[in-house]
Amino acid sequence: MTDQTRKPARTTRRGALKTLGGAAAATTLPLWARYAGAQSAEPIRIGFQVHRTGIGAAYGRWYDRTTMAAVKRINDAGGINGRMVEIVAEDDGTDPKRGAEVVEKFATQHKCDVGFGTLFSHVVIGSSPRAGELKLPYFVVSEGHHVASGMLNRYTLQPGITDVKSQVLAMAPFVKENLGKKVTMIFPDFAFGHDHRDFFTAAMKAAGGEVLEHIAIPPTETSFTRYFPKIPRETEVLYHVMVGPAVLTFVKEMGEFFGPSRPEIFGFIDSLEAVDIRSPGLEFLEGTYFWEGHPRYAQPDQTEFDKAYRAAVGVDENGASVSDPKDVSTYAHMFGCWETLYVIKKGMEAAGYRGPQDRAALIEAVEAMTDMPESFEHPQGPKVFNGKTHQVFGVQYISRVEGGRLNVKHTTSIEEGFYPDEVDYTKQPL
Amino acid sequence: MGLSTWRCADLRLVRASRLGIIGAMTCSLRLILASLALAASTGAAHAHASEGGLVLLLPTDLYVGAGAGAVALTVLLLTVLPDRVTLGLFRPLAGPRLPRLPGRVVVSCLSFLVLVALVGIGAVGPTDPQKNLLPLSVWTLFWVGLVTLQGLFGNLWAWVNPWTGPVAVTREITGARAALRLSPRLGHAVAIATWLGFAAFLLVDPAPADPRRLAAVVWGYWVFTFAATLAFGPRWLRRAEAFTVFLGIYARVAILGRRGGRLRAGVPGWRIFAARAPLPGLSVLMVMMLATGSFDGLNETFWWFSVLGLNPLEFPGRSAVVLPNLAGLLVANAGLVAAFALTVWAGLRLARSEMGPGDGFRLFAPTLLPIALGYHVAHYLTSFMVDGQYALLAATDPLGRGDDLLGLGKVYVTTGFFNTLGSMRVIWLSMAGAVVLGHVIAVLLAHAVAVRALGPGRRAALSQAPLAIFMIFYTLFGLWLLASPRGL
Repeated sequence: MTDQTRKPARTTRRGALKTLGGAAAATTLPLWARYAGAQSAEPIRIGFQVHRTGIGAAYGRWYDRTTMAAVKRINDAGGINGRMVEIVAEDDGTDPKRGAEVVEKFATQHKCDVGFGTLFSHVVIGSSPRAGELKLPYFVVSEGHHVASGMLNRYTLQPGITDVKSQVLAMAPFVKENLGKKVTMIFPDFAFGHDHRDFFTAAMKAAGGEVLEHIAIPPTETSFTRYFPKIPRETEVLYHVMVGPAVLTFVKEMGEFFGPSRPEIFGFIDSLEAVDIRSPGLEFLEGTYFWEGHPRYAQPDQTEFDKAYRAAVGVDENGASVSDPKDVSTYAHMFGCWETLYVIKKGMEAAGYRGPQDRAALIEAVEAMTDMPESFEHPQGPKVFNGKTHQVFGVQYISRVEGGRLNVKHTTSIEEGFYPDEVDYTKQPL
Repeated sequence: MGLSTWRCADLRLVRASRLGIIGAMTCSLRLILASLALAASTGAAHAHASEGGLVLLLPTDLYVGAGAGAVALTVLLLTVLPDRVTLGLFRPLAGPRLPRLPGRVVVSCLSFLVLVALVGIGAVGPTDPQKNLLPLSVWTLFWVGLVTLQGLFGNLWAWVNPWTGPVAVTREITGARAALRLSPRLGHAVAIATWLGFAAFLLVDPAPADPRRLAAVVWGYWVFTFAATLAFGPRWLRRAEAFTVFLGIYARVAILGRRGGRLRAGVPGWRIFAARAPLPGLSVLMVMMLATGSFDGLNETFWWFSVLGLNPLEFPGRSAVVLPNLAGLLVANAGLVAAFALTVWAGLRLARSEMGPGDGFRLFAPTLLPIALGYHVAHYLTSFMVDGQYALLAATDPLGRGDDLLGLGKVYVTTGFFNTLGSMRVIWLSMAGAVVLGHVIAVLLAHAVAVRALGPGRRAALSQAPLAIFMIFYTLFGLWLLASPRGL
């Protein structure tokens, strides 16, 4: 990690001092919070912007399930500042315009304390300006680089899931050291794929490797055989991030193209999130590597935190629903909802949050956060929050498909995902 | 639409072109179809119809070919089968005597009370559309479930509609009588306009499942219809209320029916065969029902996204396509009505029949209903499998307070059946089967109707030639819709 990203500790300390009540208030918190709770039977209302319909619906179901599990655990333990947490869920239709409307409803109709939840980047980008205007703390679980890139605002934070830039950067050292120096990238030809192209190419170069070829696939493509001959012969590693309904066809045709002799293959699990690795046509993935945000399969060294998290959400050791082993979860991403809710809880407790009048204090309290140790609240792993960029950084997992399951082969350090700050949101007015 | 859009996830398992002989045949037919659909849609065309993008692991080309082949075979079979056999198919079996059962007013009043409760839940219950019983009842239990039951078992709506009871009770209490007269010249125009409005709400509105919004729409429509029925009398329901008219139409396809005082059962369509040709407005609405259902499938395909120049993998949402989808809906409706009229006219010309094109249209339009019902079932099967679970969970906890009124215990919604090739094959073939069966029945029914209207032999067969081609192509189109990769 760079010096810039280490700065948050200093910056956030300054920020914390500016915060209403500052550190002194924070130290008096537990008593104060209980007092505040006793004064108000009103629940803490968290607006949950969820993809119920539209292209994000498959994620929405698991984001909802994880969110409800986290809220139950929080409430069973006494809520936040002695007040119960209530989720007010609104469907954003995976639609940026509706996303903005939903944020407005949270602030004006439902009297929510904060907004939370959504995944798809375009919805976050469409909704965030409204959250900023309404001064509604807006906690996203989107994975996009748009928060840390500086294109959003002081009221938008991503404290529960790492961003794609960080994920991709952290992969390059492993790929170069263990799989090969000469990489060909295959990616869908739109923003999502372009992010991978740009970030990984730069990271590979910095690590001493090189990307030989970029193969961009039109998003509506459904047969890929004509693209595979473009892969240069000297390719040692094939990097793929295909998404959408054609992804199984992609893998199947890739297997048919290469046969038994193939380069090393590395992909992002986004391609196969919620898809059973043992699906027909995916046999070819055996022996290939994947980035995983959170290991889908329980590992031999599974922590008690991951175990408790799975039990609470109702996910078995294979990452599927406990009630249906074929119902595979979006395990690599949905932990972000759980962890974000605990960040909100911790932030509200640090800020002595009582109601909407303390929203600015809540922002400052979250900006003041730094280390987030691996725990029941952070079952995916330890993290460091950067208060300036509003983005959290954490460990990443690299798994290999073995016997139809994903076994973790390497866990990156948090530092491998650091990059220079691109914004300082704390300089924006509250 | 359904509340959820699982058709996206499930169709991951359907596969891209695996061209066998039949595949190659269907591929070229598909190209023709795509260009026809293109010509019939917005006209703002990127010519690269994503011919299918048929993403899937199932050999859907083979299935699509086999389905269309089955319909083509039915057409060929009709040329050698004696006409009396075809006519006999639509002769129902007589069951026990069935007097008119009393109690419709009571059931309708109960239905109204349920509606009031649902609207209340929509207005103050959970804001999540998949946890609120109102959108789940409207879009899953009513629009998918009741419409299907109506199409299979007859006019259940005559019992459960929420107006006849309250109107009868109000009239009884107040002694009010209809003060206004619904002009017969209007025909079914109001019902058609309302139907289009409903279709636009279903397919174009950005948030038709939003509980608060839906509560306002449902309650507003109930009040409007109640007032109109009081003012114009029960004729309003029969002529102008879209759902009574629409569901009455679907009841004609049912297996069961009451005729001559007896309960009878027969091949779907026997009631159409037994009835007179519908009034002009009704027959137009019948074709529109098929057109709307087809557009409901078309507007989710990669092909449609290509037409609109959108990337389906980062679809900007329904609010970004309101006008194109509205235009598409209207063009699809007008286009199919025109195409069907042309087909019927061509058939009558070929047969040198003296029947006017309008009469022909009225006569044959009901034969499309089995297709519309088959496609309705196919299109919504997957969303029903998911949203049906959500409906059950919402019923056990209608106010979202953590209640468990039905004693279900801890239940998780699952979509695991979309994750194995075996179960997905069964689901897809069930969908395709509904479409193919609808077309086979439609072909048989149209032939029977033609034989009766134009006389047996060559004339009836000739009159059916264009319609038979139309139906084979429509089978391909319907199955192509099911096999296409979707962006929603």
